[in-house]
Amino acid sequence: MGIVPSSVVLTSFQVMSRVFLIWAVTHSVKEVQTEDSVLLFVIAWTITEIIRYSFYTFSLLNHLPYLIKWARYTLFIVLYPMGVSGELLTIYAALPFVRQAGLYSISLPNKYNFSFDYYAFLILIMISYIPLFPQLYFHMIHQRRKVLSHTEEHKKFE
Amino acid sequence: GKHVEILDAKTREKLCFLDKVEPHATIAEIKNLFTKTHPQWYPARQSLRLDPKGKSLKDEDVLQKLPVGTTATLYFRDLGAQISWVTVFLTEYAGPLFIYLLFYFRVPFIYGHKYDFTSSRHTVVHLACICHSFHYVKRLLETLFVHRFSHGTMPLRNIFKNCTYYWGFAAWMAYYINHPLYTPPTYGAQQVKLALAIFVICQLGNFSIHMALRDLRPAGSKTRKIPYPTKNPFTWLFLLVSCPNYTYEVGSWIGFAIMTQCLPVALFSLVGFTQMTIWAKGKHRSYLKEFRDYPPLRMPIIPFLL
Repeated sequence: MGIVPSSVVLTSFQVMSRVFLIWAVTHSVKEVQTEDSVLLFVIAWTITEIIRYSFYTFSLLNHLPYLIKWARYTLFIVLYPMGVSGELLTIYAALPFVRQAGLYSISLPNKYNFSFDYYAFLILIMISYIPLFPQLYFHMIHQRRKVLSHTEEHKKFE
Repeated sequence: GKHVEILDAKTREKLCFLDKVEPHATIAEIKNLFTKTHPQWYPARQSLRLDPKGKSLKDEDVLQKLPVGTTATLYFRDLGAQISWVTVFLTEYAGPLFIYLLFYFRVPFIYGHKYDFTSSRHTVVHLACICHSFHYVKRLLETLFVHRFSHGTMPLRNIFKNCTYYWGFAAWMAYYINHPLYTPPTYGAQQVKLALAIFVICQLGNFSIHMALRDLRPAGSKTRKIPYPTKNPFTWLFLLVSCPNYTYEVGSWIGFAIMTQCLPVALFSLVGFTQMTIWAKGKHRSYLKEFRDYPPLRMPIIPFLL
């Protein structure tokens, strides 16, 4: 929407994936709520968001401490894989319960002539991490190189 | 004669210099000359403009009518590999025709082996196959004999995108309609008859509009005129919408959805409707821009509403 310079597509994607993890997996399958993997992605997301929103706030106030910029473009190196691991492990833990309860699934015959297997859907989601995660990760690495070297150059001229 | 220099729109690098070009040469002819020095850039993938960030010049534009001096500077942008519209249409429509039949005839490895090559006992399933096949045969014939395309080509990546859409949805729909566990419509023969009537009327309507649009434009030309209702009652929808062909197309699919009572068909109709609405709005906007006297009552795709 123009207030911060992030891509609308990438950001919506991230928001959707988070909402999905929270509502469609963790909330829907009570049995996984006590898993360590949930703790893992919640911590990763929380730290990421605190830094990210500080970054946006300070940027908009035109007073961005280098530490925040550095943190935003460096800590993701650990936090991203941490978050992704937590997410994947949580979905994996939910699978048997989804299969057992037939959660969000509909099978033939029915009057809508439609079927949906939530278990298979979750497996597809997990597989989709394989092409998507590297792309997002390397996009951030590329951004890091651009942003942090830019600051270096500015420092040279001070 | 005039001189023409062609620069790369991004790098401003001098790509080509043509001297002694006829003042009444067209952009199409200049494109042909440019291809001679850069054969990998055939005319269909060239975009030439007066300003690096400006609009593409048309093939019919004449050199001396452009706002240039004795040396015309044109900027070149590569549009990427191109493929003809006709090729794309034929491929994307032949797929669904063939794919649906694979499911209808219950070819092995789709449903359980005990169902291989069996036939559904529901009349509506046979009717649906006829309707679906008729629809795509009609589209193929229209592509070959009716439509007059304004553009010759489109980017190559479109064929992959378009085929995935058409072929994917065709397989998804066909799977359920021809499934051994298919459930016929709740309101039985009444529902099927009504839906079939809607489908047939909309197919005739859609065809009538395609013929009317074809008659607006002489062969080989790219002229644009306001379409008006003709003696054919199906074309009277032009009084209320700019793109009645899309209106009838949505109607056909709604009819097919009601006939088969199949959710994937309804979803396909919805996605198609969304895309056609975007196209109709665009067409409607360009009609309004081009023609001062465009009928004010008309909406893009749905009478009075959208």
